[in-house]
Amino acid sequence: MVNDKNSQKIVDIIQNFARKHSLFVLAYGTGCGAIEIPPTMTSRYDAERFGIRGAATPRQADVLLITGYLTTKTLKRVIRVYEQMQDPKYVIGFGSCTINGGMYWDSYNTIKVLDKYLPVDIYINGCMPRPEAVIEGFIKLQKKIAEGRADGAKQYKENFEWYRANQKKVLGPTTPHIQEYNW
Amino acid sequence: MEEIKNKIYQRLTEAFPEITEHKLDFPYNRLDVKIPKNKVPAILFYLKDEMGFKHLVHITCVDWIEEEKFELIFIVWSPKEKVKVFVRTELDRNNPVMDNIDMIWRQANTYERELREMFGIQFEGLVAPKEFILEDWDDIPPMRRDFDTEAYAKKRFFERPGREDAKDVRQTIAERTGESLPDFAKKYSR
Amino acid sequence: MDILIKILGAVATIIIAFVVGMLYGGLNRKVTARVQNRVGPPFWQNYLDAFKLVSKKTSIHHGVMQHLGPAFLMVSSIGTLLFIPILKGNNWFPNLSFHGDLIFLLYLMVFGSLGLALGAGQTGNPNSAIGVTRGLSQMVGFEIPWVMALVAIMIQYHTTSIADIMHVQEVHGWLMFQKPFAFIAAILAMFGMFRYSPFDIVGAPAELASGPVSEFGGKYLGLMMSSGSIFAFVKLTLYTDLFLGGASNFIELLVKTFLLYMIPVSYGLVSPRYRTEQAVRYFWGWPSFFGLLAILYSVIF
Repeated sequence: MVNDKNSQKIVDIIQNFARKHSLFVLAYGTGCGAIEIPPTMTSRYDAERFGIRGAATPRQADVLLITGYLTTKTLKRVIRVYEQMQDPKYVIGFGSCTINGGMYWDSYNTIKVLDKYLPVDIYINGCMPRPEAVIEGFIKLQKKIAEGRADGAKQYKENFEWYRANQKKVLGPTTPHIQEYNW
Repeated sequence: MEEIKNKIYQRLTEAFPEITEHKLDFPYNRLDVKIPKNKVPAILFYLKDEMGFKHLVHITCVDWIEEEKFELIFIVWSPKEKVKVFVRTELDRNNPVMDNIDMIWRQANTYERELREMFGIQFEGLVAPKEFILEDWDDIPPMRRDFDTEAYAKKRFFERPGREDAKDVRQTIAERTGESLPDFAKKYSR
Repeated sequence: MDILIKILGAVATIIIAFVVGMLYGGLNRKVTARVQNRVGPPFWQNYLDAFKLVSKKTSIHHGVMQHLGPAFLMVSSIGTLLFIPILKGNNWFPNLSFHGDLIFLLYLMVFGSLGLALGAGQTGNPNSAIGVTRGLSQMVGFEIPWVMALVAIMIQYHTTSIADIMHVQEVHGWLMFQKPFAFIAAILAMFGMFRYSPFDIVGAPAELASGPVSEFGGKYLGLMMSSGSIFAFVKLTLYTDLFLGGASNFIELLVKTFLLYMIPVSYGLVSPRYRTEQAVRYFWGWPSFFGLLAILYSVIF
């Protein structure tokens, strides 16, 4: 096959097909949007028919859902959780607090733009998004994986210095100082 | 309910003649007394042991910045007679010091830690670890009225362009591109 | 030439066990979903899960023992698989059965859990240690009625080889009807072996962050899920050979194992979880009583 930047090899196509049809979501609700996860996963708006199921620890998970606002106290722990997951991994930002600060736009404690601290693949807007919107967000993520454009993890590794500088600006002296928390 | 509140107030004034103000005519089962700050542990012990007010509901603070004082409010509740008593004291705003009361109720420890962090009130004898809610805080205590949250947020955090204030996003985009909003959309703009 | 047929038969057995085991796992999820009034995942979902887990790009492990833990599980599953005759009287699949193999199987089945315990112990996670202790305590529970049922069969027919037991069933009829007490004790022990509800406190995601597997990710998790499916198929085939008269062709094997598989699945759908001490106390109650009755019946008559 022609090996230019836009075409994928056959191996990648098969791997992406398997990856997009079985997503393990880490069961960690960071903010008040986590109340929309149980209706999505249970009987009425069934998300398991797409292969999505919950995982218990970051080592077993693929997708990290940032549901809602992130205070600086939570951001430190979420960065550590994100670096413990294994490649390839995806981040979905829920709700308007991750997009532009939402309801807490003038609060002294929450961050406004998630994109500068973690590489985000899909944003789902709403306050909170309904389960139909959540499922549509997952379908968009599946399309992005199939085209091979969901490479947040690679972006994080390559621009690691820039992400760490932004995190240091907001977290102060207790930023994780080790190179990366993947041990 | 009025007789119960009057009876409670009579017993309190007999035991503690230093009560400066009181207010009994709240519509439901609430009763306010105001007392100087060095008598607060004594009146709380008395309410808990001898009058049956077994439950501490909350400790909170009001910032009277024009009169330069903090007003601490202790709320206690009696499950038998179903009456709330609000015990108020005043502290000096430039040097707020208060006695520790977590030997009476243990949950007062948490409330006092929050007040120490959010308002800057020092409790003598409070034994607690340093940080509770705010980690790496480098400014004045944020619940005081002279703290400007919007300026602090602008200084410290990044912002999404097009969303710097509380104006409706539709109006911002409409002004940028020069179109006009219909009437039903203007209702929700500030 | 004979050796070549046996080797090909062994390889084919492993592939068939993998395919059928994962298929049964997918059917379990589909049946659970339909009972809960929703459309579930497609029945090929487990293959996609295993493939995705194996194709993760980085793998994080904390030492040699954690690397070898899933390998021990796989060795236990495949080793147990190769000692059970899959089809009756067929030249391709007698595999490696010999005369004392029922007793040998009893301790080969436990080998995998010990390997997993060593691997989980090296990660240093306290959740893994507690989960492993719970799993081994439960194993103490269900081994007693299981061994009693097998001992009852071994005493009555004076043999310890599975092929001989299958021959006996051609003469006498299925052991399910000849020795009902042993069958009941073995079925009640099967609930504990499969680790579905109500005895799934070991690996459930809500308990202790999924117990022993909490630090395994990527290809280790893929290996463990696959070996779990193969082990399920192994146990079902063992039960078919011992109690339901074996199978002489492949379709009959699939039908019999599927019917047996529906028993723990359908009971697990409607029951909550037991704690460890409740589970062990249950296993030393009525199932052991039935096993004792089976032994007395085979000694006296």
